[in-house]
Amino acid sequence: MVNSLSILIAIPAYNEEKSISDVIGRVRSSLGEYDLLVVNDGSVDNTAKVLKQENVTTATHLCNLGYGRAIQTIVKFALKNGYDGLITLDADGQHQPEQIRELIRSFENSDVDMIIGSRHLGKNAYKNIPFGRKIGMLLFSRIVGLLCGKRIYDTSSGLKAIRKTVFKPLIECNFVDFHAEAIVYLMRLGYKLDEFPITVAERTAGESMYSFLNHFKYPLKTGLLIVLSIMDAEIKKRGVQK
Amino acid sequence: MTVQGIILLDIIGIAFIFWIISLVRHTRLYVGYGVIFITSIFATMMIISVPFLLHLITRLMGALFPASALTMLALGFIIFLLIYILTQTTILSNRLSRLVQEIAIRDAEQQKKNLNKNTNAFE
Repeated sequence: MVNSLSILIAIPAYNEEKSISDVIGRVRSSLGEYDLLVVNDGSVDNTAKVLKQENVTTATHLCNLGYGRAIQTIVKFALKNGYDGLITLDADGQHQPEQIRELIRSFENSDVDMIIGSRHLGKNAYKNIPFGRKIGMLLFSRIVGLLCGKRIYDTSSGLKAIRKTVFKPLIECNFVDFHAEAIVYLMRLGYKLDEFPITVAERTAGESMYSFLNHFKYPLKTGLLIVLSIMDAEIKKRGVQK
Repeated sequence: MTVQGIILLDIIGIAFIFWIISLVRHTRLYVGYGVIFITSIFATMMIISVPFLLHLITRLMGALFPASALTMLALGFIIFLLIYILTQTTILSNRLSRLVQEIAIRDAEQQKKNLNKNTNAFE
């Protein structure tokens, strides 16, 4: 198969020694023709050792910088190495590489700048999610809809297809989680974003990045970041116009 | 304030200034922070030592007693310093992140090159 776009598949990983090997294996068997990059975000378990055994291209953060910075490293790598687009997926094995192929096909055949793999499109919208998270997801989905004129149903999805047109804007801002704040920023700058329906498997190993405290901290933090994103986007737009 | 109190606070202020100068000399405190501290300590010593200045500050701040005015000034200074220091920490953290990312990217690029070389050699 000849790919029209050079695409990088990238996985940010933090303490995922139990699942990363399986994820890499599945990506290699389903999407073997694409370059693969893993960002080891300062893992303190055996993730680095597993990655070495897997002989996969790895960008190793010497200390933990967080999810947003790991994604930023991926975008910087993709920009520096001339990729047309990149796909990010989680290291916990929740995303299915078979669906990623469909996502890539849809990405290649569209002019959308970023496609988000959405768990909440169609019939399965917001089902089987803990009440607290569901409220948060609905809230941020509505906020994005109100602020940008288009609703994004899954603002916290880790599966994204990102075109090179948005590499620079994504590097210029320091997003903490790369969630609603990044979506609002890009949409306010006039970039096109869309969603692609996906299903996810249950996390089999490792720990989620959402702790109990995060249920309170996350909405406040993301809310403030959204306000700042709007300000940044407006300033940038005016700067460009000048 | 009594003369004894003024002398005591001035001695403490001078000791702090010497300590700060020593820290700056031994590069254990950035010269910019040293300037902020020395200026603040010197200004405080002046306000305490000159009764006219103390009463002026008290009146300007709308306080009834000089002690209240000085407490409010100190609180303002502490909040200012906290914000300033956290700003500097964030700047440092951003620089560190960029450095860590740059090292990671260079390392990954080298790995990619080696991987391509090995693949080409195999073919």
